Amino acid sequence: MPVNPVPASAGALEIESVSVSYGKFVAVESVTLSVAAGECVAVIGPNGHGKSSMVTAVAGLVRRGGRVRVFGETLPAGSPGAAVRAGLVLVPERRHLYPELTTRDNIMLGSYSRTRRLWARQAWEDVSWVLDMFPELGRLLEQKAGTLSGGQQQMVALARAMAAKPRILLLDEPCLGLAEAVARRVYDWLRVMAETDMTILLVEENPVHALLVADRAVRMYKGLVEQPGVAA
Amino acid sequence: MSEFLNLLAAGLTSGAIYGIFGACLAVWFRVCNVLNLAVGDFAMLGAIGTAELAQTDHFPFVLAIAATLASVGLVAWIFDRLVLHYAFDRGAGGHGIVSVFFYTFGLSLILEGAARAIFSTDVYGAPAIWSGPALTIADFHVQRAGVLVIALAIVSGLVLWAYLRFTVSGRAASACGESVLGSRIVGIDSALFRRRIFVGTAMLAALFGIVESPLTGFTYQSGPTISLIGVVAAGFAAFRRPGRAVAAGLVIGVAEAMLGGYVSTSYNDVLLYAVLFGIIILRPEVLGLTAEPA
Repeated sequence: MPVNPVPASAGALEIESVSVSYGKFVAVESVTLSVAAGECVAVIGPNGHGKSSMVTAVAGLVRRGGRVRVFGETLPAGSPGAAVRAGLVLVPERRHLYPELTTRDNIMLGSYSRTRRLWARQAWEDVSWVLDMFPELGRLLEQKAGTLSGGQQQMVALARAMAAKPRILLLDEPCLGLAEAVARRVYDWLRVMAETDMTILLVEENPVHALLVADRAVRMYKGLVEQPGVAA
Repeated sequence: MSEFLNLLAAGLTSGAIYGIFGACLAVWFRVCNVLNLAVGDFAMLGAIGTAELAQTDHFPFVLAIAATLASVGLVAWIFDRLVLHYAFDRGAGGHGIVSVFFYTFGLSLILEGAARAIFSTDVYGAPAIWSGPALTIADFHVQRAGVLVIALAIVSGLVLWAYLRFTVSGRAASACGESVLGSRIVGIDSALFRRRIFVGTAMLAALFGIVESPLTGFTYQSGPTISLIGVVAAGFAAFRRPGRAVAAGLVIGVAEAMLGGYVSTSYNDVLLYAVLFGIIILRPEVLGLTAEPA
């Protein structure tokens, strides 16, 4: 008998009444959203309406109200480590790589919470399979991440997230600042990831991009989820 | 030839002192982009605390060292919890140049005042760990404490270099300095790394103060000078490479000794400050004098 049985109706990711405030400014009012296992849901809407705040709160990076559950496990608020250990991994807006570290180190550190290896070489051997998904990174392994192009950096950010072996992937504006051609390539990679059994919550300002990979989309406006259930 | 060798030994000894404090500064700067300007005061506390416990209070020497190191570690931990935690983890206080310099500069002033109140204004020297006459090979003489200082600096530099280069933990520590948010999203606890390395380097500086004090002696005012020469050595290593900081410290020490021996000791400080100005002009970013990296 499982210790924490998951209700039959529960989604892989359950966001219940999540709110985020910065001082008196309410960025996310009360968002409730459920993502089923293996589903890719896009959160679309104009800039400044709480999409990124919501997803970073879900990942434990900003203080929040409400509840977040991952496969039935309730995550403590404000604990990104707990989120990663539960299998919830964020690819943040603007990537936030480690510019002075190599591509190899950036990817390897994605597995930090999962493997807890002592030696960097061993940790890399555990995650080198990621190159099968992103073979172009093979020739960039010893290059500092800060010297890569925007598209290459996004590829490293995705590879770093995959190294954590996420059950749920949160993607925040993965094409922000990228040229259209590069953005299309990023979405090619995301489509490959979405075809696995991974659960994805995608934040995207551009609905055309979002609907390239999403099973369905919801719109966020003024800190609220406005229209759930828009078919892709 | 013997004059050259003796100058070399003296230079390596003082250079090792520069290098180890540079290494302590560099490894912590690498984790949180803040200069630890109290590192010399931790060395001062180590030297004076051990001397006081061993010579005045008659503690067994090993116990005096252990008690002093534990006390220094506790002081560093409390400072992290009371000041750095709120400044960096809770987002309170100023950032940029304020955080780079003034948090630990304030700690330096507090430790100096506390040392004056608790101890005295005398010159202190802890008992020598390796006592006996100077080692002599032909006309080449070197103090035993000097040998310990050089050995400890080289071993510490190598250990820190290997930690950062070969271990996952070392890479994670570096990632904290590169991007706090980027490290948190993979589950790295940047606050824990900052605290551990601050406490660890404080204790290493204190240990170095204990080993070094039979050579130079310490007063309650010794800290800022030591921190400054540490800054210079760390600056040569872009404030991020402890192994290179030790090597840089050794080079500065030897250059200073040669300059003093063959020209004039009056130019020693000139050399030190010239190097510091060179860093400010050529690599200002490492002193936080330009825009912070994204």
